[in-house]
Formats: sequence, structure tokens, C-alpha cells
Amino acid sequence: MNYFEVFGLPKTLNIDLKTLERKFHELSRKYHPDYFTTAAPEQRQQALQMTATLNDAYRTLRHPVQRAEYLVELEGFKADGSKVPKSFLMEVFEINEQIEEVKAGSATKEQIAALRGEIEARAAKFDSELKSASLAWDNLVASSAEESQRKQQLTKLTEILSESSYIRNLQRDLEEKP
Amino acid sequence: MARIVGIDLGTTNSLVAIVENGTPRVIPGPDGNNLVPSVIYFGENGEVLIGNPAKAKLIEKPKNTIFSIKRFMGKGMTDVKDDLALLPFEVSAESENILKLKVFGRDYTPPEISAFVLRELKRNAEAALGEDIVNAVITVPAYFNDAQRQATKDAGRIAGLDVLRIVNEPTAASLAYGLQEQKQGIVAVYDFGGGTFDVSILKLSEGIFEVLSTSGDTHLGGDDIDEQLMRLVLAESKTTPDPRDFPSIRKATNKAKEDLSSADEAEISIPSLGYSRKLTRKEFDALITPTVERTLKSCRQALQDAGLKPGDVSEVVMVGGSTRIPLVRSRVQELFGRVPHTSLNPDEVVALGAAVQADILAGGKRDMLLLDVTPLSLGIETMGGVMSKIIPRNSTIPASASEMFTTFVEGQTNVKVHVLQGERELVQDCRSLAQFDLKDIPPMPAGLPRIEVKFLIDADGILSVAAQEQRTGKYQSVAVKPTYGLTDEEVERMILESFEYAESDIEAREVIEARNEASTVLIATDKGLKSEEFADLSADERNEIIAAAAHLQETVKIEDHRAIRDAIERLSQATQRLAEMIMNSAIGKALKNKRVREVDTDEPTDHLDKH
Repeated sequence: MNYFEVFGLPKTLNIDLKTLERKFHELSRKYHPDYFTTAAPEQRQQALQMTATLNDAYRTLRHPVQRAEYLVELEGFKADGSKVPKSFLMEVFEINEQIEEVKAGSATKEQIAALRGEIEARAAKFDSELKSASLAWDNLVASSAEESQRKQQLTKLTEILSESSYIRNLQRDLEEKP
Repeated sequence: MARIVGIDLGTTNSLVAIVENGTPRVIPGPDGNNLVPSVIYFGENGEVLIGNPAKAKLIEKPKNTIFSIKRFMGKGMTDVKDDLALLPFEVSAESENILKLKVFGRDYTPPEISAFVLRELKRNAEAALGEDIVNAVITVPAYFNDAQRQATKDAGRIAGLDVLRIVNEPTAASLAYGLQEQKQGIVAVYDFGGGTFDVSILKLSEGIFEVLSTSGDTHLGGDDIDEQLMRLVLAESKTTPDPRDFPSIRKATNKAKEDLSSADEAEISIPSLGYSRKLTRKEFDALITPTVERTLKSCRQALQDAGLKPGDVSEVVMVGGSTRIPLVRSRVQELFGRVPHTSLNPDEVVALGAAVQADILAGGKRDMLLLDVTPLSLGIETMGGVMSKIIPRNSTIPASASEMFTTFVEGQTNVKVHVLQGERELVQDCRSLAQFDLKDIPPMPAGLPRIEVKFLIDADGILSVAAQEQRTGKYQSVAVKPTYGLTDEEVERMILESFEYAESDIEAREVIEARNEASTVLIATDKGLKSEEFADLSADERNEIIAAAAHLQETVKIEDHRAIRDAIERLSQATQRLAEMIMNSAIGKALKNKRVREVDTDEPTDHLDKH
């Protein structure tokens, strides 16, 4: 059973988090090992496995990036940080150099603020790209689009997702400055 | 289903609680106290005292009175070196991965020592409830790692308990709180106990207690504050103290710490060192500020992990004895911008919550459900000594993850897997959890075998591993050797050994009971010797009574309840006729008195009636 099936959801990327949470609680009440303490060992084991899968599914689907990464993998694609465009790598490299300067203590307050703004802008751009690509995917699913169109959209999603670890690292590295 | 008790196995104190008619209550010990100090005294003759009687031996017998053993659960020698500097215990030479304390030439692991406390709680519950208790829920600090959780479960098994669930202490506290207050929303539980600090952020909605994040330090508690004060005394003391003085220094500094929760000034006085000083609240606050700051750092981390700001928290619940410190309360209040909730008894709330969880497991409460998280990320060692995370911290448990492993050389039949817990990038900075070999891999060219290893963290926060070779579908034998834990065989052996203790416990109790009875009999005999009737006995009878009484007085000194009972029996036999004579004459007197009184009272009544 894949994570979308666990929640009885179609393989789409726009999920209402409130509904997902309600469903998560509902299924937890049904399968949680706490309610099987007195059951037979096989049933207890089953409850444990089922709840572990439910929790894994909820953990993955509640985050838009992880949800999309999971979906493209289900479809046989894989986000890969080493396959991002060179221009993007250059950009990241430049920002990284500026972070190093901040860490070395040679940056002014204004420079730090500007850098933070730049990283946030990059992150916002990533979010909006992922969001529109996700919407486009959902539309294809809803209209039962052809295989070739779906493949094309999955490729696009995978390209966007490949950048995600760089964005996360930039955000983390700046916050970690001494 | 048999009853399930909830146990708070604390660093300083331990408690057992049960839910009756929907309400949790703490079961007190025979001395009427709810708190059983987590102190174990080992006597020269093999007797073991637990709780308050053991605590009374702390100063007199420092080497064989063990306390704060929880700090050593799941730890090796290198982990606890600093602590041991201020503790009077003797450590066994073979303590590298599992610390062992040496008492009268015998090695004890922390789970074995904790088992003594658990057995005492089990007995208290059995005495109060009038039935055998086998099932228990035991609480642990939320930030306990796998080895520490496993060690707690082992302690339960050694004590003859079936540990149905390990529950995190702050989460247990939230259950007790939620039950009482019927609140909804975001709750932060700040749990600052004797040995550990935890903070958990929970979302309470319609009976579901969902932990969003947890953070903490399993080595940060009231003990650390005591030790800071102890170091102050040691630095200021003119004489060089012996480790034997540590318990009295600890007692004095602990008292000063407690006094300062209500007073502005306290006295630290240690006559044996000729040491005395006043300590103001201000000085104390300055001394402990770094410690309190560490707890606040954890709080900020937990908030960040939950994706929340301090203002999102609608209630801060204070748990643990160290939350009585005024500086702690004021700093927590500043951080969250609200007055913390302190109306629950900070010493009892965890045990009460454990009882609530026990009740849920027993099927008593289906409307409540606890969803807890794993406090630390789980990962495996990859090339170059890097830790690759497979289950991130704050994942709801049970949680699982699968990883594919393969071979590097042709025909390789073994793959080593090293499992770790922690947040750092490098293996050396994380906690080694276990190592295992994937064995019997069918010989194939390098990289061809695909072995799927499934890691599962159960609802106790404890890891299990299963492996399957994908091409052949064959399950691999996975013998996980814990890095800092006991193997199953070792636990089994300890269970067997504990039966000896269970027996010697019963023996010790019987001796105490026999002694109590002997003293009653001896007091009665003493009265008899002074009675008028004693003179009426034959010389033989008198001599036998005196001899039997002397014999009993000698026998009570030895640890043998059978011999004491025999001596009581001999004395009872000897005094039987005397007792009868005294009884008869007493009855005679009583009857005589009664008749006199009856006559006295009857007459005036008649008289009054006539008037």
C-alpha cells in the first residue's frame, strides 16, 4: 500500500492539511497498538506495522516537498542534486561565498540582511515553482491526460525538486552562523 | 485483563499509581509515603533496603547506598566519568560499555539496581490492591535514547514485570493534565527533574494527545545543581574532603537549594569539615543561570521543530521537583510570555499520567490516545564515517524506514551495518546504537545483491531490524548487538539471580515480622515476671521461663526467622501456665469489680426513680 492509498487519496499534490490531519487521527484511533495490548500477538504485530506505515505516510504527505519527492519516485523518477543546471549551481556557489564572509565576521549588518533577503527570495521562488508545477500535475491527473504529458510534467517536477536540498542548506547555513 | 500499574521510575523518587473508577491515584508505601526514594542500601549480610530506610543510610554507609542510578542507565564508563568524581560508589573494572557498580565484591548493572526499586513498588501495589501485579507502564525521560529505554525495560523484566509500554515523562504528565483540565490547544510541558530535563510541545484535540516535538538533555537536573553547590563547597573548604564526606556535603547543599525556593537566604553548614557559609538567592541564581539557560535553549529548539512561536503555546505545564526553583519559573514565564501552570503536584503528575496510559492499554479509555515521537534521529553509517539519517527526530512513533544495502566485492556474503542515533553529521559525534551483520548473502558479483533492511521504532521508542534479500526473497538473520546494552542472555541471567533476591526479600521481611512478635512476647514476659502469680509457679517452671526468655533475646539478633519463631514458641510454652494464672486472676478481679459497680449503679437509679 503506498502512502496515498493509506489515506484513500488520489496521487495528487494539493492536499488539504486539515483534512489530512483529521484522517490521520481517525486512522490512528483505528489501528494504534495501544488498543491491541490484549490482542493476539499476530494482531498486535499487524497493528504495529499498520500504524508505522500510517505515521510514515503522514510524515511524508504533510510536507509539500517530501510529498512531491515521494510522488515522483512512485512514478519511477528521482530527484538528484547532481543534475541541476550549471547556472543554478553558480548562483548557489556565489551565495555560499557570501555566507562564508558572514561567518568570518567580515560582513556588515546591511550585507547580512541583504543576503538573508536573497536566500529568502530564492526559497520563495522555489516554493512558487513547485506549487504551480504541482497544480499542473493535479490538472493532468484530473483530466486523465496522456502518458507523454504526464511524463513531461514529472520530469519538470523532478528538476525543481533537485534544487530543494541546495535551498534548504543555504537557509540552514546562514542560521548556523556563529 | 489483569490490572496494569503506572510507574514513574525517577532519578530521586519513584512512584506507582493506578486508575480506579476513571481517576488515577498514587499508591503509597507501607510507611504512608507516596514517594519511594530511588535509593538502595546493600547490607553486609546481604539484606537490601529500599526507599526511605535506605535513604537513612546515605551518610552512614556511603559506599553501599546507591542513589541516582537512573543517570547511569544505558551508559558506559566514559559517559559518566565526571559524575563518578562526586559519587562515593565503587565501579567495577569491566565497565566500558555498561557501567557496573561493585558492592561487597559483586557487580551490579544499573538495570539490576533499578529493579530493586521496581520490585518495591510492585510489592506496594500488590499489598494495597490485594492481587499480584505483573503488568506495568514505566515512564522515561522523553530524550532517553534507545539504550536507555531498553535498559529501563530490562530493569522491569528483572523485577518480574511485563513492561507493556515505555512512556515519555512529559507526555505522561500531559495526559494527567489533559484529563484534569479538559483543555484543547498547544501545550508545552517543561519537565525539570532530579536528573533529566525534557520539554515537549503537544497538540491536544478531542482526546488525541499529539506530540509535535520534544527536546531535552538526559543529563541536566537537580543533581547538577546540587553538584554545582558541592563544587563551591569543595573549592571553599579549607580541609581536603574525603569521598566519604560527599554524602553529607550533598545533603547540606541540597537542603540549602530547597530552602532557597522559599527563603532569600540559606545556610550551608557541614560541621565535619568545619565549613559554614550563607548563600543568598542572588548568589544561587547567578550560579545556576547557565543551567537554566540550557533548558531554555531546548525549549526554543522544540518550538522551532514544531514550527511554532512562544506565543502559539496556550499553556505551559511545569513538572519535576526542580521547577520549584523561583528562577526556573520566572525564566520560563519570560520565554513563553505566560504564567506557567503549577497547580499539579510536580512530583506525582508523571506517575498519574503513567496510570492513565496503563488504563488506555487495559481498554479502560478508548476516547484518549497518545501519539508520541522519537526524540533523536536514527541513521546508519555510510562511507567516510558519515551518518545518513533514515528516520528524522520528532517522527511520530511507531515509525519505520527501509534502506537498500549491497556488496562491494564479488562473492561477498557479509555486510556490516552500524546503526546510530543523534543529530550530528559525523558518526563519531553520534551515539552508537548497535551493529549487525547481514549474513549468508548468496555469492554474486559486487553490487548485485539487494538487501532491504527495515528499521522499525516501536511505540516504546525502541528499534528492531529485519532484513530481506530482494532477489531471493530470503530473510536474513539479524543478530543485533547493542553497543551500550545488555544482551537477552544477560537479562535472562539477571532475572534468575533476582529470584534469589525475591527470596531474600521475603526472608528479610519474615525476620522483621518475627522480631516484632518476639519483642511483644518479651514485653509480656517481663510483666509476667513481676506479677504476684510468678511466685506461685514451681522452681522448674520459673527457671524455664527465665532461660527461654534469655534464649529468645539472643536469637533475635541473628537473621533467621525460623530460629526466632522457635524461640518464641519455647517461651510461649514456658509461660503458658503463668499466662493462664494471670488471666484467671484478672478475670476474677474484673468480675468482682463489675459486681461491685452493678450493685453501686443499680441502687441510685432505683433511688432516683422513686423520687
